[in-house]
Amino acid sequence: MIPLRDWPIQRKLTAIFLLISGLVLLLTSAAFVTYQVITLRRMTLKDLSTLGRVIATNSTAALAFANEGDAREILAALRAQPHVVAAGLYDATGRLFARYPPDLAADSLPATPPVDGYRFERGHLVGVEPVAQTANARLDSLYLESDVKAVRDAARLTGIIGTVVVAIALLAAYVLGRALQGRIADPILALTETAKAVSTRQDYSVRAPPSGRDELGALTDTFNQMLARIEEQDRALRESKTELEQRVADRTQELAERNEALRRNAAELLAANTELDAFAYSVSHDLRAPLRSIDGFSQVLLEDYGPKLDEAGRDSLQRVRANSQRMATLIDDLLKLARVTRSEMRTEAVDLSAIARDIVGDLQRAAPERPVEFAIAPGLSARGDSRLLRVVLENLLRNSWKYTGNQARPRIEFGSTGGNGERVFMVRDNGAGFDMKYADKLFGVFQRLHTASEFEGTGVGLATVRRIITRHGGRIWAEGAVDQGATFYFTIVTARAGPGGPS
Amino acid sequence: MAVLKAVRTWLVVAAALHWGGPTPAGQTAPSLEYRVKAVFLFNFAQFVDWPLAAFPDSQTPVVIGVLGDDPFGPLLDETVRGETLAGRPFEVRRYRRADEIKACHILFISQSESDRLEEILAGLKSRPTLTVGDGEGFSLRGGMVRFVTEKNRVRLRINLEAVQAANLTISSKLLRSAEIVTSRKQ
Repeated sequence: MIPLRDWPIQRKLTAIFLLISGLVLLLTSAAFVTYQVITLRRMTLKDLSTLGRVIATNSTAALAFANEGDAREILAALRAQPHVVAAGLYDATGRLFARYPPDLAADSLPATPPVDGYRFERGHLVGVEPVAQTANARLDSLYLESDVKAVRDAARLTGIIGTVVVAIALLAAYVLGRALQGRIADPILALTETAKAVSTRQDYSVRAPPSGRDELGALTDTFNQMLARIEEQDRALRESKTELEQRVADRTQELAERNEALRRNAAELLAANTELDAFAYSVSHDLRAPLRSIDGFSQVLLEDYGPKLDEAGRDSLQRVRANSQRMATLIDDLLKLARVTRSEMRTEAVDLSAIARDIVGDLQRAAPERPVEFAIAPGLSARGDSRLLRVVLENLLRNSWKYTGNQARPRIEFGSTGGNGERVFMVRDNGAGFDMKYADKLFGVFQRLHTASEFEGTGVGLATVRRIITRHGGRIWAEGAVDQGATFYFTIVTARAGPGGPS
Repeated sequence: MAVLKAVRTWLVVAAALHWGGPTPAGQTAPSLEYRVKAVFLFNFAQFVDWPLAAFPDSQTPVVIGVLGDDPFGPLLDETVRGETLAGRPFEVRRYRRADEIKACHILFISQSESDRLEEILAGLKSRPTLTVGDGEGFSLRGGMVRFVTEKNRVRLRINLEAVQAANLTISSKLLRSAEIVTSRKQ
């Protein structure tokens, strides 16, 4: 049994037709039959009461003068009314005086007359009429009993007619409903078919057949318009999709080409860099031997022939020696820088605070007279190459030591600030500082903001520091102002990738 | 009350209608017969129409008279006691002689007056009095209604001419259950 809501719409419409017309017909027929039966009963009752009154009036004399024959004769007139099945005249004592039909068994009539009036009893219409010649002289009672066959027959006939009419009308309603439901159901079915075709085949070119100008017609039209628009949009979508795919392919091609070019560039650059490093190393290395000769021979000249030279000659030789020594330092620094680039990296946990304290101890031992105040935060550590990180801290702390030389109350600080979840180490001093517009030049090789006479140095240290930090995946930057001190910040992001990544 | 009275009356009649039969004829038999006749006398009032002049006003009683020897005893008085006809009471009067009769609506002429019947009837001629008797040939001799006893039943024999001559109208229903005769021509 399919639940009602799942019935096909045609069946629903037919059911509605039949239900409504059936109900209407049933109610009408019921009202008709009821009216008919009530009317018939009332009419039968009226007929019988009229008959009763006539007979009662006629039989007064027969009763008043105890004429049984006359009474029987009067009652015999009831033969004209076949529906009267029994009648009796009772005298005032309640004794049966005359009966109809004459051969009626005495027990077919009540022994004594019932209460006056007419009523339906035991499937019969029973009437009791008082017999009186004048208003207050009652003589006796007339009892009449009529079968209600006529009423029953009429009711049955009406019922049969009603049933036939209902059946025919229902059949007509069914046939008419079947014929007319198409006007509602067909456009809906067509719409459903179209919608099915659209959803299963994604075919937006189908259209529902147009119907009338009613709501269903409007629905069909709207549906078709919708389909047209969807079809159009679908086509546009397909086109733009194709175009987009083409564009993506183009872009991918382009990117691949660019990537290839970049990769090639990087390889070239790496090669060039390596070559340059090797060149710088060999140059520096090769420069040392002649420089040592210059210095050595200058020393020999100064020791062996010093007394023979005048003051100017000795001074010139002194200068040669100083500059050759300075050049040796430069070459050493350059070699150090090159080594930093070339050396293997061993990653381990490094206690930066301990290294800083170590360096500071060295500095203070070398110049115990300087009143520099150090503030080194305890427990700072990072993962990296301890040797290289020592070079970083040594360069930065020595820089600070150097540039606070002119400061009355020098203060050097090593600590960290935790910005953006990234550990940032810093070395801060209150020394000479620098002008922020040269901040980008600080870390270049041989770039110096001060003259050697002001502060000695080679201009390689910060370049070295930057290389080391870069090899550790970190960044380094500086803030400062002239005579306001400087702060160097750096981060260390050591990749797990172990030692010796290219950089 | 009238109904109750009628019921009581009919109890009497019911008994009277069967005075014969198993009961051997005896002293009580005439009495039962006269009970029926008394009721019939009373009942005539309902089936006879008198001319307007018979009742000068609305309170004029319906007079039932007995001329000669009274065979009813107290029965007639008992029958009409308390009864009315269209608001009129009933009254029973007994006459010794015909000239005593003034206004009388129903007159029972006893068999004791049989010899003088024609004379009496002549005296009543053109007066609206229903004459009733039970003597042999009463209606043939000009009496209006005669009680005839047949097979223990009281039947009526009516001289319609005499009735009409007295300006009285008898209900056709009464006529139905009666035998109609005419005066024997003399």
